[in-house]
Amino acid sequence: MNLKSFKNLSFAILFLYFFLVSIKLLEKGIKTLGAEYTDALFESVSNPFAGLLVGILCTVLVQSSSVTTATIVGLVGSGVLSLEYAIPMVMGANIGTTVTNTLVSFGHARREQEFKRAFAASTMHDFFNLLVVILLFPLDLFTGFITKLAEDGTEFILATGFSVTKPNSPIKAGIKWGSNNILDGLSSVPFINNLSENSYRAYAALLIAIAIAFIFLSLRNVVSNMKSLMLNQIEFGLDKALSKGGGLFAILIGILITFSVQSSSITTSILVPIVGSGILSIENAFPITLGANIGTTITAVLASFAVDNPAGLTIALHHVYFNLMGVAIIYPFKIIRNIPINLAKRLSIITAKRRYIAILYVLITFLLLPLLGVVLFN
Amino acid sequence: MSKESLDNIDAKLSEMLINSMHIYDIAMNCLLGDTNLDTVRDDLYATDKTINELHREVRREMIVHSAVNSRNLDIPLLLSYMTMSKDIERIGDYCKNLFEIAETGNTFAKGEDLDSYIELRNDIGKLIVYLQSCLNLEDEAKIRDLITLGSSMSSDLDDKITGLLENKETIEYPVSTTLFYRYLKRIVSHIVNASTALIMPTDQIDYLDE
Repeated sequence: MNLKSFKNLSFAILFLYFFLVSIKLLEKGIKTLGAEYTDALFESVSNPFAGLLVGILCTVLVQSSSVTTATIVGLVGSGVLSLEYAIPMVMGANIGTTVTNTLVSFGHARREQEFKRAFAASTMHDFFNLLVVILLFPLDLFTGFITKLAEDGTEFILATGFSVTKPNSPIKAGIKWGSNNILDGLSSVPFINNLSENSYRAYAALLIAIAIAFIFLSLRNVVSNMKSLMLNQIEFGLDKALSKGGGLFAILIGILITFSVQSSSITTSILVPIVGSGILSIENAFPITLGANIGTTITAVLASFAVDNPAGLTIALHHVYFNLMGVAIIYPFKIIRNIPINLAKRLSIITAKRRYIAILYVLITFLLLPLLGVVLFN
Repeated sequence: MSKESLDNIDAKLSEMLINSMHIYDIAMNCLLGDTNLDTVRDDLYATDKTINELHREVRREMIVHSAVNSRNLDIPLLLSYMTMSKDIERIGDYCKNLFEIAETGNTFAKGEDLDSYIELRNDIGKLIVYLQSCLNLEDEAKIRDLITLGSSMSSDLDDKITGLLENKETIEYPVSTTLFYRYLKRIVSHIVNASTALIMPTDQIDYLDE
């Protein structure tokens, strides 16, 4: 390992630690705010559909489903957000994250054919996630079967005594130590100390703001350092995926790349120019995208290590099961697999002829409809 | 910047040159020796296909490399890879053209110029090997030597072609010989162009004379 790689790895570990500490800070901030106030705050997502749309909006705004899902895990872990309302929000995050690679495809707008392929490569992810939500969201809402699976999974993991899940595990103790030190550091600032003694709500709001900013920044740094560290492996993996075509191998490549860089947007955004140039077909890029959808769930699982409440692990496992099931339902059968691919191709034919439709699509799907929905459902 | 993947592109270019040397040997042996064309035809076309596939692989790797390293991309280097791979690929095409001269029944194996042809064959073969040895080196002087040598060879071939076109020389197969020199000149030019891509500024690649 050379010096640069060592530096990248060290920073990635350091920022991963900060990420976990940030989740703990968020949990503390929420607890400081008090149940009475937080109940009112989350009333707007007490409708599952509104929760779904809020999940989309938040993810579009921060351009990262990992930030959204990690924050949700923190909220669930602090007990302020119940599983029932958190689940649709995580599903919404799945949809919202697809906007990033759609925006990347705009970089190919100059050449019609290239844009057609690039736009289809990005929107097949949108259609896949929409399709999975259409299928599984109502099913889980009415039967709760994924939630039950996630709860059973949590019980199983806790029963095995997996050290990270134990309240007194060294990782949890390390995270607690970090968050306590940050709180002590903040208290040493006269203004913040004054705030904590005289206005606990303002102090809690400040803590929450700092925690969310830390989650965002630490994740960003984890992603950038891991990407630098893994560049050769990513390239090697994609070259292999190109030579082998699609299939399960491509899903595995998608999982591994996303798992290692902690961001599905990185994986799917890399695919856009490759498909745009025509060297990778949309059909063969699709399984890599699905792999990215599975790989991205690791962030929520990691975030759950920072919270004491087992519900944090349950929501993370729900995310894993939901994304795994989506792939298991859509991918094996060609006729179903082709639905998101063909929808993306058809839309790309229209947008390649009239590029403004692509902009309208992004604005309507990722901003206007969710905003309108949130207003209507409340 | 991911160095390993660029090493991989270097390796592919090197493999293209190894195959170029092989296809060049086949074509020249058919023209200057007594090789039975039927025994080498498949090998020649298969080698050309291999070169073409390697060329496509270089392009694919460059796209993947660009997509993965979009933030710190060495664009001049990638452009030089693009032009080098194209030049090397063209060597294979001209070797096919040389083989086609042999297929028309023309042979230079029995003329009195055979020794000079063999010397020319060896010199150009050495250029291909020389280029391959320069790929992984950052020895600008060595590459400049290659460019000088190639340019001089190209100029000599030009003189021979001009002489033939002006009917200054009386030879057995004037058309085939003109084409023979012409194709060899193109091979040398592509070697020189590929060499310029290793050291010249991006806008100067291929424009040695200007």
